Amino acid sequence: MIFLNYFLENYNKILRASYQHFCLFIISLIIAIIIGVILSIIATEEGKEKLGKVIVSITGAAQAVPSIAVIALVFIYVGIGVIPAIISLIIYSLVPIIFNATSGILSVPQSIIEAGKGMGFTRNQILWKIKIPIAIPVIMGGIRSAATIIIGTAVVASVIGGGGLGDLIFIGLRLNKPEALFAGAFSSALMAIIIDIILARAEKIITPKGLKIKK
Amino acid sequence: MIELINVTKKFGEKVAVNNLNLTIEKGKLTMLIGPSGCGKTTTMRMINRLTRCDEGDIKLSGISVCEINPVELRRGIGYVIQEIGLFPHFTVFDNIATVPRLLKWDEKKIKKRVEELLDIVTLNSNFAYKYPLQLSGGERQRVGLARSLGADPEVLLMDEPFGAIDPINRLKLQDSFLEIQEEIKKTIVFVTHDINEAIKLGDKIVIMKDGSLVQCDDAANILANPANKFVENLLGKDRSIKALSLKKTKNFIAAGDLVTVSEEETKEKILKKMQEKKEEIAFVLDKYNKLMGRYWLEKSKNNEQVEINFDGDPIFTERNNSLKETLSIMLESGEKILPVVNRRKVLIGIVKLNDIFEEVSK
Repeated sequence: MIFLNYFLENYNKILRASYQHFCLFIISLIIAIIIGVILSIIATEEGKEKLGKVIVSITGAAQAVPSIAVIALVFIYVGIGVIPAIISLIIYSLVPIIFNATSGILSVPQSIIEAGKGMGFTRNQILWKIKIPIAIPVIMGGIRSAATIIIGTAVVASVIGGGGLGDLIFIGLRLNKPEALFAGAFSSALMAIIIDIILARAEKIITPKGLKIKK
Repeated sequence: MIELINVTKKFGEKVAVNNLNLTIEKGKLTMLIGPSGCGKTTTMRMINRLTRCDEGDIKLSGISVCEINPVELRRGIGYVIQEIGLFPHFTVFDNIATVPRLLKWDEKKIKKRVEELLDIVTLNSNFAYKYPLQLSGGERQRVGLARSLGADPEVLLMDEPFGAIDPINRLKLQDSFLEIQEEIKKTIVFVTHDINEAIKLGDKIVIMKDGSLVQCDDAANILANPANKFVENLLGKDRSIKALSLKKTKNFIAAGDLVTVSEEETKEKILKKMQEKKEEIAFVLDKYNKLMGRYWLEKSKNNEQVEINFDGDPIFTERNNSLKETLSIMLESGEKILPVVNRRKVLIGIVKLNDIFEEVSK
């Protein structure tokens, strides 16, 4: 009952925090996708397959780094505020995006690329018409985990002034108000679930039909 | 015509192709064969510049390939590899339309071309909207061939295209491939490591070893006069039987007419027809002249009367089967006369065991 009351009384506050949280999320995700996919494309160019494999192992291991460590480092070097929060979110979410995009592009069978080259595809055509469409399900998998990670980590990033739902949680902690804490946690979890459902749909839509067929 | 002039290619210290001179004739099927590492694939890949040659020159109808933009060059040359490499995210239609689209043909022309090619490789037109994952190995290979023919290139490069197919389907694919080549008459460079395939398909066989040319001639000459021990070993001990495999069934179709009947005719009418022509076998054809069945006469064991029998799934041989293959079909089935059909199962004639024996004893 106390939770529901808190919700109703602080409706505006929660909505504002959620909106802030969403802005942090969407800005970080878009920038992380752009940077991550571009880096992955560069790392998987023909003749650089070794570099690509090294990147896959590094990003694979980097997934074990705790988010708080990244946030602390950004705090030390960049300072406090929304921008440092976004920077730390981007850095942290780049890991799954690059890991998936790189391994996805590298796993496109060599025979398909060879056939494309032999038929006279240019380098760009091989990238955009062969490699990326075939790797799209794996790339989208990376983006989906990045999205979930950003929403969760953005809560923590409020300690360096990111704002958003994390503020509610930390206020709840400091003032010993479990209802505020609950409101923040519940809203961010709900947001993560909704975003994941949307992205799952998007993945389904942009995955080429021929890749979804089961024999 | 493709000319290779003093072509050399090195990978680091290793010489892959050593000062190779070779002329590949227009409209002919040239087989490159040799043990792995002999440079046959490298030789082929230098023609469409997937591999650069270090020294020498390769000329396509008199123009050096080095003077042509590699992307343009490759769009003008059909290319088939063993793994086929169909694009899984494209339909069969889009796969076959790949090169025409790269060349920016208009969609109407592309549609017509794709339909034509599906027909050439004997795939039903409703294959057009299937995806590669829905096809069998043999069907994929056919689509791969159709795709390489997309923009009607003069030259076709094929790197062990039937290498990954099971032996029975490989024979079938080889047969229909030969028949297709009779129609399209492309200049084909075909890499293989299977001597039987080389003998069966090749107008010319180029034997390579350690990056150098060992012998280049047509199959009959190579079988009759192997250049050295290496070629002899490559050909194997059964050279004389292999020579039989050079002869095509279609050249031994027996003279005289056949009794053919439609599916609707009654047994009495068919019996009468056969007795009039004094033939013991009649073939049932549908309206496309496809072989649907066979009637044959037999003396009954009880009385001396003649009985008529029907077989709805008769044994047959394909016109491009070698005499060796036809002979083994006859021996296996115990038939002295076999119907000969083309790749669409249209009856062309019959072949007789006696004629094959005569050919062997020559």
